Amino acid sequence: MSRHLFVTLVTAFMSALLVSGCSSGKPKFEPGVLRVNLGTEPPGLDWHTATDFTSFDVVSNVMIGLTAYTNDLKCAPSCAESWDVLDGGKRYVFHIRKNILWSDGKPLTARDFEFAWRRLLTAATAGQYPFFLYDIVGAKEFNAYTADQVKAKSKPGSVLIGAAPELGFKAVDDYTFEVKLNKPAAYFIYLTAFCPTFPMRQDVVEKWGDRWTEPENIVTNGPYKLTHWQHEYKMELAANEKFYAGPPKVKTIKMFMVPEQSTAYALYENNELDYIDNRSLATPDIERLKHSPEYSNFPLLRSNYLGFNCKKPPFTDARVRRAVAMAIDKRIFPKILGRNERPAGSWIPEKLAGYSPANTMPFDPPGARKLLAEAGYPDGKGLPPIEVLYPNRDDVTLTVEAVQDELKRNLNMPIHLENTEWKVYLARVKKDPPTLFRSNWGADYPDPETFMNLFTSYNGNNNTKWSDPKYDAIIAAAEGEQDPTKRAVLYSQADHLLCIEQAPIVPAFMATQNIMVKPWVKGIAKNPLDLQFFRDVSVGEPSNVINGEDVH
Amino acid sequence: MLSLICKRILMAIPVLLIVASITFLLVRVVPGGPFDADKNLPPEIVANLNAKYHLDKPVAEQYVLYIARLARGDLGVSYKYVNRTVNDILRDAFPVSLQLGSISLILAVLVGVPLGAVAGISRGGKGDTLAMFLSTFGISVPGFVIGASLIFIFGIVLKVLPVALWESPWHMVLPAVTLAFSPAAYLARLTRASVLEIVDKDWVRTARSKGLSQQNTVIKHILRNSLVPVVTVLGPLTAILITGSFVVEYIYAIPGMGRFFITAVNNRDYDLILGTTLVFAVLLIIANTMVDISYQILDPRMRVED
Repeated sequence: MSRHLFVTLVTAFMSALLVSGCSSGKPKFEPGVLRVNLGTEPPGLDWHTATDFTSFDVVSNVMIGLTAYTNDLKCAPSCAESWDVLDGGKRYVFHIRKNILWSDGKPLTARDFEFAWRRLLTAATAGQYPFFLYDIVGAKEFNAYTADQVKAKSKPGSVLIGAAPELGFKAVDDYTFEVKLNKPAAYFIYLTAFCPTFPMRQDVVEKWGDRWTEPENIVTNGPYKLTHWQHEYKMELAANEKFYAGPPKVKTIKMFMVPEQSTAYALYENNELDYIDNRSLATPDIERLKHSPEYSNFPLLRSNYLGFNCKKPPFTDARVRRAVAMAIDKRIFPKILGRNERPAGSWIPEKLAGYSPANTMPFDPPGARKLLAEAGYPDGKGLPPIEVLYPNRDDVTLTVEAVQDELKRNLNMPIHLENTEWKVYLARVKKDPPTLFRSNWGADYPDPETFMNLFTSYNGNNNTKWSDPKYDAIIAAAEGEQDPTKRAVLYSQADHLLCIEQAPIVPAFMATQNIMVKPWVKGIAKNPLDLQFFRDVSVGEPSNVINGEDVH
Repeated sequence: MLSLICKRILMAIPVLLIVASITFLLVRVVPGGPFDADKNLPPEIVANLNAKYHLDKPVAEQYVLYIARLARGDLGVSYKYVNRTVNDILRDAFPVSLQLGSISLILAVLVGVPLGAVAGISRGGKGDTLAMFLSTFGISVPGFVIGASLIFIFGIVLKVLPVALWESPWHMVLPAVTLAFSPAAYLARLTRASVLEIVDKDWVRTARSKGLSQQNTVIKHILRNSLVPVVTVLGPLTAILITGSFVVEYIYAIPGMGRFFITAVNNRDYDLILGTTLVFAVLLIIANTMVDISYQILDPRMRVED
C-alpha cells in the first residue's frame, strides 16, 4: 500500500467518524418516545411464570388486572370498576368494566380471569406464584391434584383416580367474577393487582403454546402493547389505541437492556436514555450526582435485616439477640452503602399500616453489654464461634463488615465472615442457616402481611427457625380482621414481639430507588413497590419541570 | 485433505460426547439449583418446577434424556428464560458474536502480524521498542479498562462514536477495537518471536545474497515461514472471538452469546451452560481443522499423505 493511499484512507475514516458522530446536532429527545433501561433481558413475559421485577416492569405496562396499585400504595379499580366484600370477608364479587378490549379488539370478560387463575394453579404451567391464590377455596388442593396428574403422566401405566377439586372462583357471567376464600383475608384485594393474577386469553395461549409471548402473538389489555423484542437487547412498546381509558401520551417506549451501570449512565448523559434508575447508577455516580436537579431518591418497600439462627447458640437466648440488636448503630449503613438507604427500626416499613416508631430497638451499647452479661457472656467472654455466611456482592460485603465491626467494638463479640457464590449461599442457607445471616425481603403487595407473615413458624422463608405461637396467633387474627384500625394494632403488637421482645431479627435498612429524569420527561412516578407505570408519562419540551414533576 | 476432514469429523463425535458428559456432571455437582432464589418457594411449587424440567428424575435418567435430545440437535430449554429453548437463544445471539468476533479477528491479524513483523525485522530499533510497548500495553491492560477508556474518549469527550448499543455499523467500531486489542498484542509478540527465529536462517541469507529486495525477502521468505505458530494460535483464538466476550458485550450492551458463558453458570441454567459449552467445542474443532488445512498450504513439508 503506498504511503499516499494509506494517508488518504486514514483521513477518510476520521472524517467519516466526525461526520457520523455529530451528536451535538442530534436532537436531545424524540417527542412521544421514552427511552429507558431495563438492565437485563426479562426472563419471560408470561405473567404466570415471571417472577422478577424486570419482567413485571414490562407486564405492568402492557397489562392491567382486576385492581391496580396506586403510587400511594392503595388498590384502585382497574378491570373491575367495583367489588363487593361479602360473608365477613370470605367472598369477593368483582364487577368488570364492559368497555375493556384486548389489543386484538376482542372484549375482556370474566372468563379470561377464570382461565388465567386456573392456569396459574395448574402444576404443568410451572409457575412460581400459585401459592398467592391458596387462600381461595380448593386452590391448594387443585394445584396438588394437577401436580399428581403431571407425575402420573410421566410414569407409564399409573392412573390418577379422582376428580379435580372444585375451585372457589368462577365467572358468574361475562362481567361478574366471584371468588370464595377459605378464611377472611384482608390483604386478598392487593393480590388482584399483582401481575400473576392478571387475565389471560385462552385462545391465544392454546394457539401459540410456549411462543405466545412473542410480539407477533401476544394479546394484552394494558396502556401499551409489545411490538418488538430483540432478545437480550431491546423491547419496544407502542401506545394501545384501544386502551379503555384512552391511549397514553407516550407513543413508543424503547426499553434497552444495558447491564453495565456506567455504560447506561453514559447513554443517559449523551441523551440516549431519558430515565434511569438503580440499574443504571453506580454508587460513586450517586454521590456525584445527588445535587443534580435531575436526581431524586425514595425508599422502597424492601427491607434488609440480620437474622439469627435461633436454634444455634448463643442466639437461642433472646437476651443475646436483643444485645446484638442494641449494639448496632444503623446510621452506619447509608454511610457505607452510599445509596441514601434509610436505617430501619421496626420490621413494618414506615408507609404501611401497623408501623410504630416505638417498635425500634434503641442503639444502646452499655445496655447491650449488660444484657450480654446477664446471658452469661460478660464482656463477650465464653461466646461460641459466630459465623456469618454471605453472598459475594459488594453491598452485602460492606454491610456484614460493618456489623462485624460494630459487634466487636460494642460487645467484644468476634464474628467470623465467610462469603460464597450466590446460588451456593442460597442452597446453604436453605439447608442449614448459619448462626447469623444477612437477608432482605421485598414486598409483593403493599400490606404489612407480606412482611409479617415471613416470621410465622410455618413460613418457608423463615430461616431464623424462630417460632412463637403467640406471634402466629396475632398474625392469623390480623389476616382475618376486617377493621383496618384493629388490624393495624394487631400487626403493631406482632412487630413489637419481633423487634423488641424476642428479636429473632434485627431490621437494618430500607433499600432505596435512585432515579435521574431528563427535564423533557413528565409524570415519572415514585412507586415504593418498585414498579414502573409509564401510563401517565409524557415526553416533550422541557418547561418548568424538575425530576419529571411540574414545579408549578 | 479430504481424509483429514473426514477423520476430524469422526473424531469430533466422541470429543463432543465427552465434553457434554463432563459438563453435564459438573453442573449438577455444583451446589445450588436453577430455582433457588431470594424467596424460597413452597415445596409443592419446587416439585412442580422440577417435574416440568425432569429434574425430579434420577441423574442417570436425566443424562440419558439429555443425550437423546442432543442426538436430535435439541439443546434443551432455558430454566431462566422461560419459554425459550437453548437453540432459540443461541440462534439469536451467535450471529451477533460471529459478526463482532470476525471483525475483531481481522483487525487483530491486520494490526498484530505486521506490528510483530516490523518489530522482529528491526530488532532493538525504534520500531521494535514502539511495537513491543504497544503489545505489552495491549496484553496487560484488561478489556474493561480499554472499553471504558474508549467510551470516555470517543463517546463522551469527542462524541464521534456511539457510547454503546448495537444499532448501526458505527456501533461496532469501539467494541471491535476493544475486543481486538488483546489478541492483536498477543499476535504481535508471537509474530516477533517467530520472525526473530527465521530472520537469521540460511535461506534468508541466501535470498538476500542473490539480490532479492527487502520487501520480497520479508514477505516471501521470512513472513511466510514465521506464520506457522501464528496460524496455530489462530484456531483457538477464532473460536474464542466468535463466541463472544462477556466483558465487551457487557460494557457495550451487545446482544451476543459471550455473556451466557458467565450468566448461565450464575443462574444454574443447566441446558444453557451445556449449549454454550458445546457450541464452543464445535467451533474449536472446526477452527483447529482449518488450522491443520492451512498448515499444508503454508508448509509443504506438513502435507499429510492421503
